[in-house]
Amino acid sequence: MKDILRVEDLIVDYVTRRGVARAVDRVSLTVGENRTLGLAGESGCGKSTLGRAIMRLVPYPGKIVDGRVFLDLDEDIPYENGVLKKGEVEITALDEEALRAVRGKEIAYIFQDPMTSLNPMLRIGDHFVQILQAHNPEMEKDEALERGKEVLESLGILPERIGDYPHQFSGGMRQRVMIGLSLVMRPRLLIADEPTTSLDVIVEAQILEEMAQLKEKFNLTMILITHNLGVLAQTADDIAVMYTGRICEVATTETLFEDPQHPYTQALLESVPDVTKPDKKLSWIPGAPPDLVEPLPGCMFHPRCPKAMDICKKKVPKLVQSNNGGVVACHLYGGA
Amino acid sequence: MASLVNGVFYQLGSAKQSISEHSRKWCAVLLVLVAFTLALVATLVGLALRSYKGFGVVVVSGTFVTAGTVFLARVIASLWQKAKTLVRQGPIPFALLCGIAAIVAMLPISLVINRSEGLAMWSVIAGGGLVLSGMILLLIDGYPVFKQYKSPGYMVLGGVMIVLALVYMTWIAYWIVPYDPFEIEMGHPNTPPCAEFPMGTTSLGQDMLSRVIAGGATMLQVAVLSVIVCFCIGVPIGLLASYRGGAVDKVVSLVMDSIFAFPGLVLAIAIAAMLGPGVVNMAISIAVVYVPSYFRVVRSQVLTIRELAYVEAAIIMGARDRDILLRYVLPNVLPSSVVVMSINFADAILTAAGLTFVGLGLPVDIADWGWDLTYGFDVITLGYWWVPTFPGIMVVLLALGFTLTGEGLNEILTPKLQE
Ligand code: SF4
Repeated sequence: MKDILRVEDLIVDYVTRRGVARAVDRVSLTVGENRTLGLAGESGCGKSTLGRAIMRLVPYPGKIVDGRVFLDLDEDIPYENGVLKKGEVEITALDEEALRAVRGKEIAYIFQDPMTSLNPMLRIGDHFVQILQAHNPEMEKDEALERGKEVLESLGILPERIGDYPHQFSGGMRQRVMIGLSLVMRPRLLIADEPTTSLDVIVEAQILEEMAQLKEKFNLTMILITHNLGVLAQTADDIAVMYTGRICEVATTETLFEDPQHPYTQALLESVPDVTKPDKKLSWIPGAPPDLVEPLPGCMFHPRCPKAMDICKKKVPKLVQSNNGGVVACHLYGGA
Repeated sequence: MASLVNGVFYQLGSAKQSISEHSRKWCAVLLVLVAFTLALVATLVGLALRSYKGFGVVVVSGTFVTAGTVFLARVIASLWQKAKTLVRQGPIPFALLCGIAAIVAMLPISLVINRSEGLAMWSVIAGGGLVLSGMILLLIDGYPVFKQYKSPGYMVLGGVMIVLALVYMTWIAYWIVPYDPFEIEMGHPNTPPCAEFPMGTTSLGQDMLSRVIAGGATMLQVAVLSVIVCFCIGVPIGLLASYRGGAVDKVVSLVMDSIFAFPGLVLAIAIAAMLGPGVVNMAISIAVVYVPSYFRVVRSQVLTIRELAYVEAAIIMGARDRDILLRYVLPNVLPSSVVVMSINFADAILTAAGLTFVGLGLPVDIADWGWDLTYGFDVITLGYWWVPTFPGIMVVLLALGFTLTGEGLNEILTPKLQE
């Protein structure tokens, strides 16, 4: 299996007035072709920042300090100053123009809130034209509109509605439009940041279903960022759990739910209600995540970890191979 | 005098804060002001009967015919619309089209009436007619819109009416003045107001009344020109510099802030002194002073707009900078720039008055409110109160009109202030 995306030791800092907060701390990941990787964790654990850092669009005052991101291209991409060669390119080394060529064309991104991610002053069609023309300037407006209509139709939206303005659509419809917009360039990788969090449960289920179908249809590789483990159980092939900017555990979805290794993953799963076990006692994790401006030494989970040991307060655990085929960062494993 | 005028506006500024509490009283004052201006302009225009050119009545009635046509067409068009015999494009363009047709029809008439200056007369009729039509359409179609906004809406409406009335008067001035405003020795110098010279004469014997009617031209030209120049420089610079950010933004901000830190009038005087007198030079020197206000407003807007979710979404989909600037940022910046622009008008007028006051305006024979103010200031001690008073009133009215428009628009278009 080929890796589409490879992240190596990525570090993202937010420089705030109080000090430097490390939102993503030496994260390494790979995403295989046609797989869906779920990024899970509490809010503020750095999962969204990681998603954006992959596209090199960290919101101000964030900054990628170190690390590299590689993307596999299956064709040459021409852009204003040259051509990106087929094969692996290092996103973190691209110039602005090349980056623009990759954004939207090879990696697409879907935001959490569909209500605010469409320009209220442009028709839906104009959005399509804008993106298509940004990536191939020669394309005629009519052709672009045709492409847009096709995509809308495949998402169950009447093609005539391409002339409507965003405010004429409901939340779920807008998210479909956003998905359509991100897929119109046939990207290989789709990063979806809480794509259904702001929608109601029924629409959420529909959209997740549609995304799964589209993934098949367009041969997509996906990164799904969410705090909702239920969503991941349905959609993800692999899950990476993050805590305070670090990866705790990566495993296939099945393994992770059956046999979680890391105490944080275990605690997280304990706190999810399960319809098949109505008498399961829900628990929560005592305490709150530490302040990232003043990071704790050692494993950052130690004040809340039921199995904390002395070494946990001193030494940062490394990612090691766990018994069930995944990787885990905890001193309980790896013969530490 | 300039400081006095400025003082009036400071007062107005503080009064503005209490608008909501005294909205009724305020509306009454506003109504009185607008009515006063309109009555004043109407009276001055009525002097067309005594026009020395002899065609005053023709010109005025020409504009009235145009405006009347527009009014009728507007009424008929809306009746049609009610009867579902649709006027497809809506009543306003239809009414304007009728007005333009009327104007075109008047071309041969004015050529017959006045051989030598027929075309000039016709263009004045056309322009004046359009301004009048604008006022009528604004009243008919604008009123329901502005009514929703309560007092700020009325402010805008009143302000625009005042300004348009003065523009109308200035536009047709050449044909309606009772005496040539430039000619000296029309009457005995320093005659106090009397039947023959209702506003007296200057110490050169020019007729004050004619000068008051015609004197707005310079100021309006300077104001319009400087505001347009300002807008065309300030907005693009603000957009480009602050969108990309970085070193360029820092340098431009620094330059703008240093211009902003200068006292406006002093800077304008310095530049005008370098360029020499003249309408264009005055406009340029005023424009330089006010570019930073556009820049700052645009910049602060761009910084917030850049963070909007849909702008980020566009960037993340690889949209071109050009698209983002023109279709995402610019439409968001425009309302507040228009607000700055309308407030800017009043400032430009006062600065123009100030420039003329220190002798950087136009030659003495040109009819200009600013000049008569300056000159009148010297002779007021001799008891010739009429020389500065009447132009002073006009300047205040014009500036007031622009200020009302600006402040009203400000409150309508920037709803944050209402909280
Ligand atoms: S390293 Fe220690 S503190 Fe951290 S999760 Fe493992 S056992 Fe708990």
